[in-house]
Amino acid sequence: MTQSTLEVSHLYTSFFSERGEIKAVQDVSMRIGKGQVVGVVGESGCGKSMVARSIMGLIKKPGKIVSGSILLDGQELTSLGENELCKIRGKDVSMVFQEPMTSLNPTMRVGLQVQEVVSIHENVSKEEARQRTLAILSAVGIPEVKERYNAYPHELSGGLRQRVMIAMAMVMRPRLLIADEPTTALDATVEAQIIALLRQLADNGTSVLIISHNLGVIAQLADHVYVMYAGHVVESASVFELFDNPLHPYTLGLLRAVSSLRSQSKVLQTIPGIVPNLAHLPVGCSFAPRCDKCMARCTSTQPELVAVGSGHEVRCHLTKRVDAQ
Amino acid sequence: MRGSVAQGVLRRLLYALIAIVGVAALVFVLLRMVPGNPVATLLGEHADNETVERISSSLGLDQPLPVQFANYLLGALRGDFGESYTLGKPVSELIGPAFVNTLWLALAAALVAWVVGIACGLFAAIRKGTIVDRLFMGFSLLGVSLPVFMVSMLLQYVFARYLHWLPVAGISDWTGYILPAIALGWGSAGSIARLVRSSIIEVLQQDYIDTARAKGRTNSQVLVLHALRNAMLPVITLMAMQFSGLLSGAVITETVFSINGIGRLSVQAIAGRDIPLLQGTTLLCTFVIVMGNLAADLLYNVCDPRVRKGA
Repeated sequence: MTQSTLEVSHLYTSFFSERGEIKAVQDVSMRIGKGQVVGVVGESGCGKSMVARSIMGLIKKPGKIVSGSILLDGQELTSLGENELCKIRGKDVSMVFQEPMTSLNPTMRVGLQVQEVVSIHENVSKEEARQRTLAILSAVGIPEVKERYNAYPHELSGGLRQRVMIAMAMVMRPRLLIADEPTTALDATVEAQIIALLRQLADNGTSVLIISHNLGVIAQLADHVYVMYAGHVVESASVFELFDNPLHPYTLGLLRAVSSLRSQSKVLQTIPGIVPNLAHLPVGCSFAPRCDKCMARCTSTQPELVAVGSGHEVRCHLTKRVDAQ
Repeated sequence: MRGSVAQGVLRRLLYALIAIVGVAALVFVLLRMVPGNPVATLLGEHADNETVERISSSLGLDQPLPVQFANYLLGALRGDFGESYTLGKPVSELIGPAFVNTLWLALAAALVAWVVGIACGLFAAIRKGTIVDRLFMGFSLLGVSLPVFMVSMLLQYVFARYLHWLPVAGISDWTGYILPAIALGWGSAGSIARLVRSSIIEVLQQDYIDTARAKGRTNSQVLVLHALRNAMLPVITLMAMQFSGLLSGAVITETVFSINGIGRLSVQAIAGRDIPLLQGTTLLCTFVIVMGNLAADLLYNVCDPRVRKGA
């Protein structure tokens, strides 16, 4: 096995509200190798963004990491204080957010917003920081960088803004780039360009964690995929294995919903029901109420994540039983 | 782009001019609709009709209203606002020194309002939900709700009469401005604090704050470098408008603290049916408020690149 850039083990992240504990992330473990692209897929509210925020140490109050470990090249992040985290954020781990329209400071020139990252983490002259900013801006495919450097965010298109965000995340050559739904707010052609850009970054040795609800994006980018549901990882496999041999009923449902768009089927395949309330999760499997293969023990016992092959893990009673035979 | 900014400024100046002339006309007409003949008031109860008519004619009050108004505007352009009926001096000579007094009071009150308002709002926002927040917000609510005359008299009682720290009223040196500035500034400080607080809380929830934190900025750097400028945008407008309000005369504060400013002069003019003087003070206030709003607009343009284009 190659050295992992990121190793998350048994991470639990919760929000402590007046209505009780909301378990946003439960027992999530994942690893990302150097230069590997790992995808996290799931519906809104499944906890995928919370995994990203836990890694960045950017969970909003009243949320916090309850237990578990996050290792970045062997360094434990969960025990670090705010000041130490500030030295890591933007330098070793960086993040691209979902909304390029609102993720840039509207009253600051975009060049300075990128340059800021350099001056936070390195003691360099203004001129050198500026040169590095111009270089990274053109590296992410922004034309006429000298003019764009002085532009305000509202003067740029969504695609250009997301490129600025990626430039900001890449300027320090971090070990890990987290992209939280980086293409959701963009149109299809721009999406393809951004995906190509992220792919290129990974080929240059940056590990990428890409979070998306879009299986198409995941299929194009990721080497390995984690499927999340209600705060749990329910299935994890290499991208080929997942699409060829999906085992969890939820993964099957997601794939059916996509393939029904491709085939000529008149009816859009959906997964019935909605994501459960994280404050009142069912006793057994969280997916049981929506599962068409639900059995008696599914509503009483929480299934464990079990390995079913090389790098393929599933959290489902059904799989366990098949395995036992 | 530079051309469109200049055009925008010119257009706003034109609007400002229209507003000033409009208000001048309105005041002119309204003052002549007020019951009571100013000349009769001037001459006292026992003046006969003939004298009243003679004086009216010498003051030009027998001419048709549009002619009077045109004459007034022409005079105003030359800096001649007529002569005060009651004080026997040119209005411009009376307004000048009064405006200087008001200007000092307004500056002092604005200093109180801005420093206290922004500081309270900022601390309340970053300590949201704590005792500090509640204390500051209670303090600002008091400032907004207490009537100025009451605050003035309380301050006079405590700091002048009881503690003997500051003069009760009148301006002999700068210490005379302290109590009136607090009385006048507290209310403005209250509304600024509340706006600063809500604006900062709102800005801190924006996505670009997360971006700044993800870059490795510390919380205080995020607040100063990314949140403050954006949060101050709505506050700038409020501050500029409040300042022009302060400049146009604090009638009650000036009266309570015996400051010979525009507000007190206006009260005297009303009491004496002194039409030229009242017109003069009103026109000055209009000018100050319109210019204040113009300044707020332009300042907003400088601070927010998003509105610059369409200026």
